[in-house]
Amino acid sequence: MGLKVSQPPRRRPVLFTALLLWLMMIASAQADETQPDRARDLRYGWILYEYHQGNAFDALTQLAVAREQGGIEGHGDHPALVEGGLMLSWGMTREASSVFTELLGTDGGSTLPLNVRNQAWFYLGKVFYLEGNHARASENLERVDGDILAAANHDLFREWVYLRARLATMSSEFGNGLELTSLQGLLEDTDIWSLYLRYNSAVSARDTGNAVAAEAELQALIAILDESTDSDEPEAEREGLLGRARLSLAGLYLRDGQFEAALETLGAMPLNGVFADQALFDYAVAAAGQGRPQRALDALETLSGRDLFLPWRQQVPYARAYVLEQMNRPQHALPAFRQAADHYEARIEELNGIRSRLSEENLMAQLDFRRDSEGILTDSYGRLRVQPVDFGMAEVLASETFQQALAELNELYRMQSFIAERQSRFEAFRTMLETREQQRQIRIAQTRRALDSQQAEQWQQLHHAFREKIATALSEEDAGFFMTSKQKALRNKLDEVAETLAGLPDDATTASQRATYQSMRAYFDWWIADDYGVNRWATQKQLRELDREMEHFQTQRQQVETLMADGAGHAELARRISTSERELATLGEEISVALGNARHGLLSQVDRMLVARQEELKGYLLASRHAQARLADQLFSASQSAGVGDE
Amino acid sequence: MATCLIIRFPMLLSALLLGFTAPVFAQTNTEGESNHTAVAEQVEALKKKVIRLNRDLFILEEDLLFPANTQVAVFLSVDTGKFLKLDAVKLKVNDDIVASHLYTERQVTALERGGMQRLYVGNLKTGPHQITAFVEGIGPDQRPYKQAASLEFEKDTGTAALEVRVQDRSSNYQPSVSIVEWE
Repeated sequence: MGLKVSQPPRRRPVLFTALLLWLMMIASAQADETQPDRARDLRYGWILYEYHQGNAFDALTQLAVAREQGGIEGHGDHPALVEGGLMLSWGMTREASSVFTELLGTDGGSTLPLNVRNQAWFYLGKVFYLEGNHARASENLERVDGDILAAANHDLFREWVYLRARLATMSSEFGNGLELTSLQGLLEDTDIWSLYLRYNSAVSARDTGNAVAAEAELQALIAILDESTDSDEPEAEREGLLGRARLSLAGLYLRDGQFEAALETLGAMPLNGVFADQALFDYAVAAAGQGRPQRALDALETLSGRDLFLPWRQQVPYARAYVLEQMNRPQHALPAFRQAADHYEARIEELNGIRSRLSEENLMAQLDFRRDSEGILTDSYGRLRVQPVDFGMAEVLASETFQQALAELNELYRMQSFIAERQSRFEAFRTMLETREQQRQIRIAQTRRALDSQQAEQWQQLHHAFREKIATALSEEDAGFFMTSKQKALRNKLDEVAETLAGLPDDATTASQRATYQSMRAYFDWWIADDYGVNRWATQKQLRELDREMEHFQTQRQQVETLMADGAGHAELARRISTSERELATLGEEISVALGNARHGLLSQVDRMLVARQEELKGYLLASRHAQARLADQLFSASQSAGVGDE
Repeated sequence: MATCLIIRFPMLLSALLLGFTAPVFAQTNTEGESNHTAVAEQVEALKKKVIRLNRDLFILEEDLLFPANTQVAVFLSVDTGKFLKLDAVKLKVNDDIVASHLYTERQVTALERGGMQRLYVGNLKTGPHQITAFVEGIGPDQRPYKQAASLEFEKDTGTAALEVRVQDRSSNYQPSVSIVEWE
């Protein structure tokens, strides 16, 4: 079983340590006009909810959604700052750097408080330092204003001084030590960061061949550590550093042949300390060098009784035999060398076997990952909380590159889980789309029935006929056609009168009525002619209104018809599903390739370590065999001489 | 060779010892580092792609399941949380329970720090609707506390967003629950 995770990245647990504490601080309410007490944007509130739980992936996704849908209102630069912080905590240091540079750079015009900007630069610089990118680490750490940082957070300020001093030590400009001295001057002598600086500068001095400076620095460090017991730092950390300093100083003494000084330094180390075994071995070396082999042998015998799984302890079998030889006990030294050779041979064989069987599965079996209910725990920089099952792995596990490679492998597996989980959703997406289409067809059928019931064609025909009649009446100037209802009623009455008069004899008895009728008819005709313009205008107005209504009616019907016929929305969704599916598949392939690379890189690191260890063992094996042969010859010669003497 | 090793024995051991006590955080394997940088850059580029794709899928899923003209989203916020330690919430829309949630310590902390939980997202037709939230937790004097809030609202053709707001009321040292409609 390789390094597998059961959860997709959205549920990745992240411990709330320094970086996230800072992130929380910047996202929570501040005395700053650009950051209101409450979320003014629901999406931003949601982002904060995910982000305060350490769900960096979900929060980053929601930030991307917000950007796609018009951005976040009312929070100024804070969403971008939160995004940069989330990227840092999710191991996207390069992206985070771009975000911060754009947001906090001198030309950015950011409204963020200076101390927030300061701390952003600090964390960014620290992440680059841990990644081994010293140029970018320096670039970002130099942007920090030390005074402001010291006032806002003195712990961060101390660490900032340490990081800058380390970078100064490692830079090519290092030589006059002026910058280093001035930085060291910013810290108290007893400050743990100052002590680490002393230790590291001693190691640097030793590596450049300046043993005197290295010795002086280590002696000063040990003196400070011995005197400062009432410190704020955890005791174990100071004790660890003290042990490390003593071992290094003893190493320097041994190198210079100052065995008495080495014995004295090592003798001050506790027998139950972290470095007790290593001190014991050095003690044996010093004792042997000082001409006290029995002491050396006692120390080595003690070490021999322990498991020889730590790489440096592989020296013990050879050293034990060597001391026996030095004590002029060849009868004991010969079998000791034989045992040493057998041990090295077996160990080389064992390493051969380990190398040939080396796989991700075997490697992971050697590591003990700390987990909670939601998966493997990580620190605030995304590195996994892991301990070696086999302490032989401790050396490689302690290296930053291995830690980062392991974290990245884990991230890649998480991304692979994400891809698998999302791929399984596409079937559901298609079902959703199909269901939507079915519902749409049902609604279309219902609408069609409703439209049919409106008898639109009949209305259209009536409208058309009416228009024709009006047009004809207009062309014929038919004033009667445009009469009002009242006029039509009068006309009908006049017609009735005319009809009645027609049925009566045309004589003096009806003459008066006929005259009255004639005058009424004449008046009526004059009235109709006089009202023609008004009546025609009123009819045309009504017609225009009817035209508008009919046009609106037709437009609406047309829109409904277009909507019913238009499958563009459905097609667009279908296209998006297909595109996303293709992209997901491509991304899955890229992740597989990256996983292969990461796996290969990780195993190569372990293999390189195993090869180096094998080479070392081969050296000891060869030396043991040579010593065996030499001693066998010596003993044989001695026995021959004794035989001759006896004769 | 053996003689040489014997002569160099103390020196060899010292060298090994010094190698073991290398500088804190020091890196020596440049080949491994450069390979690792390449992988790290690759992983970061992939992470960027994964976020972008997840964004697209999230929007696609919302467009499919909760179209804008019918979508209703209910958020929950906790203002200070001094008088109520949130434990659980139930949500009813038109007499149907549509969401219920039990809160972990981490979620409560996230809410108290200004986060807003999307408690529910669903679809509603245009027209009048009623929403009711039941909030449970530990209230003043460490006693179990329950409170409900209700709101009648008109759903139009746009997305509807509501907020269940749990606040401290300093006037009577009691928590208060209200539902607010976002424009």
